[in-house]
Amino acid sequence: MTGVAGADGRPATETVPRGATATGRRRVLVHVGTPKTGTSHLQDVLFRNADVLREHGISYPAERFDAHFLAALDLMKLTWGGLELEAVGAWDRLAEQVRAWPGTSIVSHEILATASRMQVDRALTSLAGEDGADAEVHLVLSVRDLVRQIPAEWQENVKHRSTLTYAKFLEQVRDPGRDSRIGSWFWGVQELPDIMNRWGATLPPERIHLVTVPAPGAPRDELWSRFSRAFGLDGIDLDLTPERANPSLGAAETALVRRINRQVVRTVEPGDYRPLVRELLAHQTLSRRAGSPRLALPPELHTWARDLSATWVEEIERRGYDVVGDLADLLGPEQPLPWADPDEPDEALVARAAVDAISALLVEGSRLRAVEADLAAQLHDTRAALERSYLRPTYRLREKLVRVMEGTRAGRGALMVYRRARGRSSLSA
Amino acid sequence: MSARAWGWVRHLLDGGTTAWGEWHAEADAVGRVVPGAQQLELLRRLNQSARPVPEGLARRVLEASAPGRGRPDLELEGAAHDSRFGARPVDPSLLPTEELLRVATHLLAEDLVALGPVDRRPDALPRPWRRRYRLVGDPLLADPVRRDLVARGRPPRPGGEVVVVGADLGRMLADAWTALCFDHGVGSWAAWQATWHQRDQIPPRVDLPRVLTTWQERRGADHVHLLVEGTPGWQRLPRLVGVRRLEVPPRPGEEAAELARRVAAVLGLMVDAPRRSVLLRDGLLPRLPAEAFVAAAPGAADRVRLPAVSAEHADWVARRARRMSRRLTAAGYPVDLAPGPGGGAAGGVGGADDGREAARDDAADGVLSLAVRMLLGGWKERA
Repeated sequence: MTGVAGADGRPATETVPRGATATGRRRVLVHVGTPKTGTSHLQDVLFRNADVLREHGISYPAERFDAHFLAALDLMKLTWGGLELEAVGAWDRLAEQVRAWPGTSIVSHEILATASRMQVDRALTSLAGEDGADAEVHLVLSVRDLVRQIPAEWQENVKHRSTLTYAKFLEQVRDPGRDSRIGSWFWGVQELPDIMNRWGATLPPERIHLVTVPAPGAPRDELWSRFSRAFGLDGIDLDLTPERANPSLGAAETALVRRINRQVVRTVEPGDYRPLVRELLAHQTLSRRAGSPRLALPPELHTWARDLSATWVEEIERRGYDVVGDLADLLGPEQPLPWADPDEPDEALVARAAVDAISALLVEGSRLRAVEADLAAQLHDTRAALERSYLRPTYRLREKLVRVMEGTRAGRGALMVYRRARGRSSLSA
Repeated sequence: MSARAWGWVRHLLDGGTTAWGEWHAEADAVGRVVPGAQQLELLRRLNQSARPVPEGLARRVLEASAPGRGRPDLELEGAAHDSRFGARPVDPSLLPTEELLRVATHLLAEDLVALGPVDRRPDALPRPWRRRYRLVGDPLLADPVRRDLVARGRPPRPGGEVVVVGADLGRMLADAWTALCFDHGVGSWAAWQATWHQRDQIPPRVDLPRVLTTWQERRGADHVHLLVEGTPGWQRLPRLVGVRRLEVPPRPGEEAAELARRVAAVLGLMVDAPRRSVLLRDGLLPRLPAEAFVAAAPGAADRVRLPAVSAEHADWVARRARRMSRRLTAAGYPVDLAPGPGGGAAGGVGGADDGREAARDDAADGVLSLAVRMLLGGWKERA
């Protein structure tokens, strides 16, 4: 249980940049998931503290918060509601920055977990050269038990416009063929031994680090403490104020968002859905509601999920990866969590959540009306200023002249010649 | 086991067409990673279509990503790295066409970026004595005709007749969708119909009453003309825009539009939005083989189909067409925009429920076949 800092068995010294290996070779930490394991908070801390980190020899190369997300979209040629249009060339830019940094670089995004072997090969070659000769690559995977991951993934789908019921989602996840988009994506980002097979095929086990998400009830900062150890950030004074997170919803609130999706998914464009439904309703409003039962795995699937996790734990132990935390965390709670079926939610709770949602939308609508009124006032003032300039006698004279000229063929020809000479391209309507 | 896989890779790179299930010989690795089943099967299909497949293309196929959120690169049945975990290895010959299309469209998008738009002859200088006109309406009718007129030195200019062109509503909806496929990309034809049906709205460019009202307010009713394709009044089009003859280019068929739609989605990952539109409209469209278009002559026998309104939306389209026709008639344009018994000017009502699955598979096969032809040098004209 060492984390990256001690992976080569030697402490950093004054002569070697803190982030580089003892031999001076570049070090690249590639964090590839999994989703819903505190990755948003980690990436937020890395992004906001990038300057401090660089002083300690660690680079988190990102011009914007979601730079590594865009790079992942580019690497894997994934479309994402139009965001991919901003991702053109993003991976190559990221890799170039990594190659240019002499110390440690961190690359982090959870959707990287689903990369194919060919894409992994391309990614690692671009970061560390052919056969990894140019840098020491470490793979970091943050992991959480399936008992919590399965409902969390469904909720994430709902927050991305899905209208699928929980029952249907579970059915597709459990389909051994994994032919559905849901099943294929879910296991692509969650099946730990498979992710290791794809990403870790060329890495020695001591350079593969698993960070387990602590079981419920652990101290609040325990997960960060594990991340810090895994990434070699201990001892660096970082601002850990949570500014970005991906908060969870209760069962009734998730049911409400799914019902909203059914109504709006065809009529509200992704670019409007993200700020209005995902951010305003889900993250800023419904996630703050207390008292609603949490999403959970149906009790009849509890044993299946734990048994499957147990086979993974066994495999991970056998392979000898570096584990930061406790592998027992991966099994999940022994007893099923309290169950509330989100497909048949408590309608009173849904109604109360809906009232909160309507209130939030009304407040936002009022704010937008104020913005609209302000813009209208600015437009009015601008028009008035234009009118005043039009009222000058010379303008009125010119206007009259143009009107007269446009009435005759010769006049129109003369005007065209004049406009061309002036370089004005637009013609009067 | 992977030696057998590498043997098959080598066989395919040499132009072989043997299916994976019948392959037994082994060979040394020819790369670091065995390519996915989708890539390997696509190369086998290319080998079946043309031998030899250029080596550069074969390599590109094997290294290509299958873009989008489909299935990951799958391993070969019987040669998986660790079959206990990951997606179930497959017999590549049983893969759905959809999976092969994902790889093929990625390669086509790369080709398109490399080729760029087709060089066109510069437009003729605008003729000062040309007729004043505006041409608006159905994008597959108005846009190519306007571009042709611009090339002939007769660009539109204000102050003359406003010509609104249209067709029956089913055809106009299909045209609006096809135009978007060759512009910035759009959802599938089925999803697109469902979206407008749910909104109970008509896409703005083909909402003829609205278009007419807008232009009547700007130009006056006397100067605004509605011409519907396939009606006697359609013959007035050349005269209204000031030429003797005018040809509306043939429409790209459903498979060509679907291919463009898929390529558009991948292009979005490679170039910025304005460049994507240019590449689709001036790069892909003019390079499609002639067989991808519907014959211009009305009633000509043609195996190429246009997108047709699905059965579940046919009633809605008919209702909206009746409403639209009533409004246009009241405004002084007596037309009937109801789709014919075929559901569109040149197509049948698509997808009866029981045959829908088979029809979708057939359509995907047609798109893949077109994509394979293009990959093998079918680009009609190289820049």
